[in-house]
Amino acid sequence: MTNNNYKEWKKIAEKELKEKDINELNWDTPEGIRVKPLYTEDDLKKLEHEIGFPGLPPYTRGPRATMYSNRPWTIRQYAGFSTAEESNKFYKEGLRNGVTGLSVAFDLATHRGYDSDHPRVVADVGNAGVAIDSIEDMNTLFLDIPLDKMSVSMTMNGAVIPVLACFIACGEEQGVDKSKLTGTIQNDILKEFMVRNTFIFPPEPSMRIVSDIIEFTSKEMPKFNSISISGYHMQEAGANQVQELAYTLADGKEYVEAALKRGLDIDDFAPRLSFFWSIGMNFFMEIAKMRAARFMWSKIIEEFKPKNPKSLALRTHCQTSGVSLMEQDAYNNIVRTTIEAMAAVMGGTQSLHTNSFDEALALPTTFSARIARNTQLILAEESGINKVIDPMAGSYYVESLTSDIIKQARALIKEVDDVGGMVKAIEMGLPKMRIEESSAKRQARVDSMEETIVGVNKYKPTEKQDINVLSIDNEKVRVKQIKRLKDIKDSRDMNEVNNLLKKITEACRSSELNLLEVCVEAAKKRCTVGEMTEVMEKVFGRHTLSSKTISGVYGKAIKHTEKINKIDVEIEKFIENKGRRPRMLVVKMGQDGHDRGAKLIATAFSDLGFDVDVGPLFQTPEEAAMQAIDNDVHIIGVSTLAAGHKTLVPLLMKSLKNNKASNIKVICGGVIPPKDYDLLYELGVSKVFGPGTNIQEAAIEIINII
Amino acid sequence: MNLKSFLKLFNISNKNFAKQIGVSAVSLSRYIIGERIPEKKIINKIFNQTNGLVDANDFFIDKKNNEDLSNSDIQEIDSILFNLRKGSRPHLAKAITLVESLLEKDKLRANLLLSKLKENDRSIRIGITGVPGVGKSTIIEALGSFLISSGNKVAVLAIDPSSKQSGGSILGDKTRMEKLSVDKNAYIRPSPNQGHLGGVAKKTFQSIRCLEEFGFNIIFVETMGVGQAETSVYDMVDIFLVLLLPSGGDELQGIKKGIIELADLIVVNKADGGLIKQAELTKNEYTNASQMTSDSRIDLKPNILTCSAVENKGIKEIWNYISKFIKSSKDKKMFYQIRSDQRLKNLWADVDLNISEYMNKNFKTKQYIKDLINKIEKNEVSLTEGSKIIYEYLTKKKFD
Repeated sequence: MTNNNYKEWKKIAEKELKEKDINELNWDTPEGIRVKPLYTEDDLKKLEHEIGFPGLPPYTRGPRATMYSNRPWTIRQYAGFSTAEESNKFYKEGLRNGVTGLSVAFDLATHRGYDSDHPRVVADVGNAGVAIDSIEDMNTLFLDIPLDKMSVSMTMNGAVIPVLACFIACGEEQGVDKSKLTGTIQNDILKEFMVRNTFIFPPEPSMRIVSDIIEFTSKEMPKFNSISISGYHMQEAGANQVQELAYTLADGKEYVEAALKRGLDIDDFAPRLSFFWSIGMNFFMEIAKMRAARFMWSKIIEEFKPKNPKSLALRTHCQTSGVSLMEQDAYNNIVRTTIEAMAAVMGGTQSLHTNSFDEALALPTTFSARIARNTQLILAEESGINKVIDPMAGSYYVESLTSDIIKQARALIKEVDDVGGMVKAIEMGLPKMRIEESSAKRQARVDSMEETIVGVNKYKPTEKQDINVLSIDNEKVRVKQIKRLKDIKDSRDMNEVNNLLKKITEACRSSELNLLEVCVEAAKKRCTVGEMTEVMEKVFGRHTLSSKTISGVYGKAIKHTEKINKIDVEIEKFIENKGRRPRMLVVKMGQDGHDRGAKLIATAFSDLGFDVDVGPLFQTPEEAAMQAIDNDVHIIGVSTLAAGHKTLVPLLMKSLKNNKASNIKVICGGVIPPKDYDLLYELGVSKVFGPGTNIQEAAIEIINII
Repeated sequence: MNLKSFLKLFNISNKNFAKQIGVSAVSLSRYIIGERIPEKKIINKIFNQTNGLVDANDFFIDKKNNEDLSNSDIQEIDSILFNLRKGSRPHLAKAITLVESLLEKDKLRANLLLSKLKENDRSIRIGITGVPGVGKSTIIEALGSFLISSGNKVAVLAIDPSSKQSGGSILGDKTRMEKLSVDKNAYIRPSPNQGHLGGVAKKTFQSIRCLEEFGFNIIFVETMGVGQAETSVYDMVDIFLVLLLPSGGDELQGIKKGIIELADLIVVNKADGGLIKQAELTKNEYTNASQMTSDSRIDLKPNILTCSAVENKGIKEIWNYISKFIKSSKDKKMFYQIRSDQRLKNLWADVDLNISEYMNKNFKTKQYIKDLINKIEKNEVSLTEGSKIIYEYLTKKKFD
């Protein structure tokens, strides 16, 4: 009966298509999934997964029985900047206006375990998050925010031990026992090695730290999520949804195995594992991804034979995609964020952060943060979406897509298993390579207009909009922090401090001692984040990244257009004049480890015919200048996402000048507020490129500059 | 070559040469400065007297394409050299760019620069090759740091592949040599191989000499190990290292057998963690299978080691082997012989490169060659006949 109807439909459809084949309407997604124009009842017969009921294994429909019909998701806005005082003010403003959970963003110096007075972090203090050097800063951060009532999520992976220790100690000084603390610590180091690069120690001791935290929280902090296994940063780095899903679940499996090896029972900690997804613009794909994740995770955990069904349930936080935000026509970002937030809610998230529309330019302002928050409030309180549990269940399309994603993700997980698990795969650089490939392909699709971004590669605005953005006087923050550090160091008992630091060293050497437990004591006695990290570093070492950059992927994915031919001609002309190809050094300075942009630029420009030098991560401006001079490049491309440009670029220019190398041109790209453009041009920067720049157009411009 | 250069090259006085070809010294000087063109008879005499090095074209064709460098060029080269010797890194960097430049004029300038460099027998030139991922950079980082701590100055030339499609390249070696890249006693210069296989090697040899003039006493040359630049690199270093992974068989290694045969020293890297045993096995396999390896330039055995660059194990042993190798080579006086042989080999490599560049750039684009090729394509002229015509044209047999 259905079959007959399908045939009839096809006939009529093909008539509408004027003899075109119906298969031409198929859409091959970047994940390699073929999406048909129509799904029917038949498609539900060949599903990989069980749909089931919410609150019951395999939890495809959600981890709780009532979902939002009883209580909406937690509105948890990720924020933090400048000093603890400023961030505290911002949090309280949010809490007065509908925010129901906090999420702390730390600055990069804290992430990498440096106190604010360390010479390598001059440009990083207080910029992309709040500077936390000790328990004193933590106390200020949560002033008048009772930690037994407020759930706090902390994005911290590198310096996770000292920071979590300061948090626990801060609770105690508020009079809140650690058993009452609620919230989440990200504590997901594997994805740092893969994409985000805010690690400190090598993989092995890092995994031990993860286990120490899982062990400690499972015993002492029953309401606290010990880890937030994150796919978010993978999608931000260019991963497609299947990669995000597969690698995150594979990471999760690795953490479970590490905790089991520690002697913990699966039911002691599995219910406190949480996840974190990025939600991008592919609406149904995102919903299907979240459903697939819950089903797959329950199957993965099932193998470890838990007795508590809650161990099988995947709970997640979601954030709308940062990489989908565009600098051009920035108000469009409000619409994008709304669509993404809807997908997260339809997918059944437990908490949500919505991005502010100006985050492709700078940190959010009070105004943009309000709109972002209201986006969630409108969804929760005006739309009625929350009234029915899992409204997407049974949709021919969504269930089929869920099933397709499961198939693809299983294949990727198998690839990881075949090389011996995620730690091995990361050491080999396998997931990183796959993610970079898909990032380069996407850029090529956008540059060749195969993928539309409204206001960026199509329907561009004719008039420029002025958008007010927040900027941080990073130097002022740093001076304040240094003063506070000095005060702390002057007033504490040095004997106690030294003894505790010695104890941390001992704990690093012996797996009998729990590092977090020791560090909570140290935090209470005013040992700083930097000091605790430093003694750990002496035993564990500081990890350096051996990074490979792929080539050829962008080149293969671009269409050979007039623009490409023009670049070829320009480069040939360049070689005839200068005797070699244009040579560019792509640098990342400061503690900002987000290298998606830098890598993409490197691979795309080399595919367009440039010789591209790549600098190590975490360079100082002086080191970057030296590398440019040593390699005799024509131009330096500075990639900056963490607001360090106002400090770092002047230092770079100065360093070039001091070495009599001002002939080397400098361009900047990344998240740079338009009002800083003039400042950079005054310094002698030749050109500033924002997010959403067409790489091919940029290439022509750069050849003209040099 | 013009007459002036010929006389200078072979130290012949104007007076003597005038006598040899039977003209007055005054006439000869007019020929030399281009005021007068000698008559056919005299041109023939000059041709014979110079063994064909100076021919009619050298009088008739005004070689204005900068055979002679301008004074400002010469001054610039002097300044580069002066500052380079004083330890200026920007000038060292410029010198290497000059040496690598594809411009005709830069080649002349580079020649002038190179002609002023001293030979340096105290340096140690080390070639390192292996497939991507074997850990070349990590080993150089470990070895280099170790050498700097004992007072050496270390330079690294890394040859990276250029894309065949776009011609561009990614030069990422410094991301894998974090310590060396910020050490003032180290210099790392990645260079794209620019697609032509022999080409880069010639330039690398010249870059090595710039680095030695600057004061680096240990030079690493790092290549990809896929069988293109390796033979040329072998001929410009004192010792050639091939890195292997702990696993069996050349096929698995992805490295060409011919390259393993060149090795003066084989190092099995990544002998750490769960791979220690396998590394030992690989080592034994290569030690026993003598047909896979041939004797090194000087017979010094055993020439297979294991190491773990990430754990910094076995690095000192590699250096011990290298020093022993160099010492033994010097004791047997082979070191100097090999270097002198290498100079000749690099001479011929240079000649080959120039010829093929000339063929591709100037010769094949000439109309009569195009016509000839057209005829050969249509089979109107046979292949052997065509080849003979071209050869005779190139070697200018007509004056014999």
